[in-house]
Amino acid sequence: IKVFVSTEDNQPYLSIPCSEHKITSAVWGPLGEFVIAGHENGEINQFSAKSGDILKKIKEHTKQINDIQSSVDNTMFITASKDNTAKLFDSTSLDHIKTFRTERPVNSAAISPIMDHVVMGGGQEAMEVTTTSTRIGKFEARFFHAAYEEEFGRVKGHFGPINCVAFHPDGKSYSSGGEDGYVRIHYFDPQYFDFELEV
Amino acid sequence: ASPRPQTAYSFHRTYLTNLSLSAELLDDILREKPQEADGIDSVVVVDNVPQVGPERLEKLKNVIHKIFSKFGKITTEFYPEADGMTKGYIFLEYAAPTQALEAVKNADGYKLDKQHTFRVNLFTDFDKYMNICDEWEAPEKQPFKDFGNMRHWIEDPDCRDQYSVIYEAGERTAIFSNDAKEPIINEERARWTETYVRWSPKGTYLATFHQRGIALWGGEKFKQIQRFSHQGVSLIDFSPCERYVVTFSPLMDTKEDPQAIIIWDILTGQKKRGFHCESSAHWPIFKWSHDGKFFARMSTDTLSIYETPSMGLLDKKSLKINGIKDFSWSPGDNIIAFWVPEDKDIPARVTLMQMPSRQEIRVRNLFNVVDCKLHWQRNGDYLCVKVDRTPKGTQGVVTNFEIFRMREKQVPVDVVEMKESIIAFAWEPNGSKFAVLHGESPRINASFYHVKNNGKIELIKMFDKQQANSIFWSPQGQFMVLAGLRSMNGALAFVDTSDCTLMNIAEHYMASDVEWDPTGRYVVTSVSWWSHKVDNAYWLWTFQGRLLQKNNKDRFCQLLWRPRPPTLLSIDQIKMIKKDLKKYSKIFEQKDRLSQSKASKELVDKRRAMMEEYRNYREAALQNYQEQKNLRLELRGGVDTDELDSNVDDWEEETIEFFINEEIIPLGDLHIEEKEKLSKLFLCLTIAIFFFASSCWCVATAQHRVSNQCMRKVLSQNQ
Repeated sequence: IKVFVSTEDNQPYLSIPCSEHKITSAVWGPLGEFVIAGHENGEINQFSAKSGDILKKIKEHTKQINDIQSSVDNTMFITASKDNTAKLFDSTSLDHIKTFRTERPVNSAAISPIMDHVVMGGGQEAMEVTTTSTRIGKFEARFFHAAYEEEFGRVKGHFGPINCVAFHPDGKSYSSGGEDGYVRIHYFDPQYFDFELEV
Repeated sequence: ASPRPQTAYSFHRTYLTNLSLSAELLDDILREKPQEADGIDSVVVVDNVPQVGPERLEKLKNVIHKIFSKFGKITTEFYPEADGMTKGYIFLEYAAPTQALEAVKNADGYKLDKQHTFRVNLFTDFDKYMNICDEWEAPEKQPFKDFGNMRHWIEDPDCRDQYSVIYEAGERTAIFSNDAKEPIINEERARWTETYVRWSPKGTYLATFHQRGIALWGGEKFKQIQRFSHQGVSLIDFSPCERYVVTFSPLMDTKEDPQAIIIWDILTGQKKRGFHCESSAHWPIFKWSHDGKFFARMSTDTLSIYETPSMGLLDKKSLKINGIKDFSWSPGDNIIAFWVPEDKDIPARVTLMQMPSRQEIRVRNLFNVVDCKLHWQRNGDYLCVKVDRTPKGTQGVVTNFEIFRMREKQVPVDVVEMKESIIAFAWEPNGSKFAVLHGESPRINASFYHVKNNGKIELIKMFDKQQANSIFWSPQGQFMVLAGLRSMNGALAFVDTSDCTLMNIAEHYMASDVEWDPTGRYVVTSVSWWSHKVDNAYWLWTFQGRLLQKNNKDRFCQLLWRPRPPTLLSIDQIKMIKKDLKKYSKIFEQKDRLSQSKASKELVDKRRAMMEEYRNYREAALQNYQEQKNLRLELRGGVDTDELDSNVDDWEEETIEFFINEEIIPLGDLHIEEKEKLSKLFLCLTIAIFFFASSCWCVATAQHRVSNQCMRKVLSQNQ
């Protein structure tokens, strides 16, 4: 991991080497005091931004972590993993809060800024793509309820695996980019904001 | 010492007496003096030998010699006599004990003629039996292994059927009870089997495969009932009565001790008999009769039928049938159907043979046959022989179905001609209908026929352009699923054959298997990891094609329903229940509604709890966040990044115009109104310009006047 200070030259302020398992994704902690990194083997580590030491480490995923994204207030983050799940964690304590299960590797996940929703996108690895459904637009972004861990919606449209998803900071739309080379921007209908799973 | 029977060694005594005189002189030879005990192992006693007088003795000896010299060199033979006739038993000595063993093994049970079946025993065996203790010791009592109620699963109060699931690529095996809402787990074990599992025909046992052999599990807790050691076992088969299990291993097979196929008695765990096997291409090699009384196998020009429990050949010899290609047992009676292809002038034919009498019930000649396949209806009421023929003078292959009506006198045969190539054929399990898939992709048709009592076979309905390559009837008949498995991407069609309507058309993408439950209420379609590496799951449907559940299982491999034993109810009792069905339905519906509301209440409670937990967490996190606000401001040099609109001043608003559309409208085509609008516009513009011009002039003149006045003032002042 290389930590850069934006105003200075192109030299990193701090470089944290990582020996065994390659780091695949990283986000800042809430107050910039540490960096949360995800590894190839499913581990998640908190690296101090000052010294580079590992402050905390956990291993909840069984396969490579493809993406980590923080919530808008940085209090929690969501990890997307090749083991077909995405998990929600608390940023400071690294407590595992929720798990969202699918049957395909998850390439990216994001937390809605205004609703208790998460979105996940995924699909097969690029080399295996030809063996799945060639039906048009089979690759879907999936919406889960953050508290109930239940899927409540899917958005079709991509022709290839989805590599990246992100919510707009105002929470009224989200975007997804995929292997097919398209970036799709979706604005939510009013019904999306009224939707409630029956309680 | 117990009395010994007269031995063949009486002549030894004379030999010895003669020798003793010259003992010292013949010291070296004396050392080789045969002992009484020597050679006993090479002696066999043959019983049930015909008693003959001296005139036929020579002939008898020749016959015996011919039979028994096959096993080795006979060095001595002794035919004890009494009253001028042979006693009926003889002694034979072989050159080596192994030969004696061969004789016992192969000649014991040899039928010389109707009244004489040889019994051959080792002489030493007599000794063993003679020395048995007079006091009978009761065999040690084995502790009774109580496996509990072996039919426990049938007693489920909600009549849930069980099924086995193998997932995680074979690492885990689980048994579930099927419930419409959600499968209920009964048992789950890691590495329960090394390859796959099989249920016994009546559902009593679950067989698992291991390197060393197979194991049978059962009872309420699935305890291990029995273990059969057969190194490298790869295939098994149960007898329909569940008394025997047949295992096959390609590894173990020696000339002396055939071990490729072994038949075991399930309850005692004993090995009953071993057989050779060249290849396991058409498993099961041994086909069982429906009642488990016989099992048979086919080899070149031979049909060997064995009977249980002796495991011996029926009538002690196999049937010689030249060119036999295939055979199968009727599932309802002990009748074997087999067919032989054309042989020079003799046409191909299908034969029905009654067992054990070997009487030919029916023979049907067929002409220009390429191939035949035998399809029995599940109760043995009908046999369908699918005949592929090349009619004389043509090149192509046409198919006929020869339908044998087994329940009618003299088994009449009706023929149904098919114009297209056949993809699949299946009888309705309890009835007299059959379904055929025929044609070539993409024009595949599904036809339904009814075999009527009046000798006609009627085509009820044909559906065309179906995406199907397999037929799955419900085990109770009437309903069925037409499925396009594997390459046809899992297209499903649910059909009610009582009026041949399509109840539902659905799809389970890349489905590799379809399994009906034993009651015919549910269908499971599944995508096995063995055939497709993603989306491994099994889906549960009602018999009408309504999807109930989608169960994803990591690397799901196989689902097998547990079979049910035949019903204990009599036909009258079943009639009574069908009559009172309305009454029972009411009770069941009430029960369903109760459990439904209970389930939704449970779900609601669960969700409420989860939400509360989550809310509490979020509140705490948010509080923390608020408390850290100052820290944040500090870190970011006083810039508030908390809200999107906290720093509107920083925002730059930009209006971007972008081209949407271009439309060219020639003025000549303008509507009158448009023209009027334009002319009005021009008028306004002109007036505006006029006013503007005039106001400019006024201003100019006003200015001029003002400047004049100023000038006059200045001038007057200066004077």
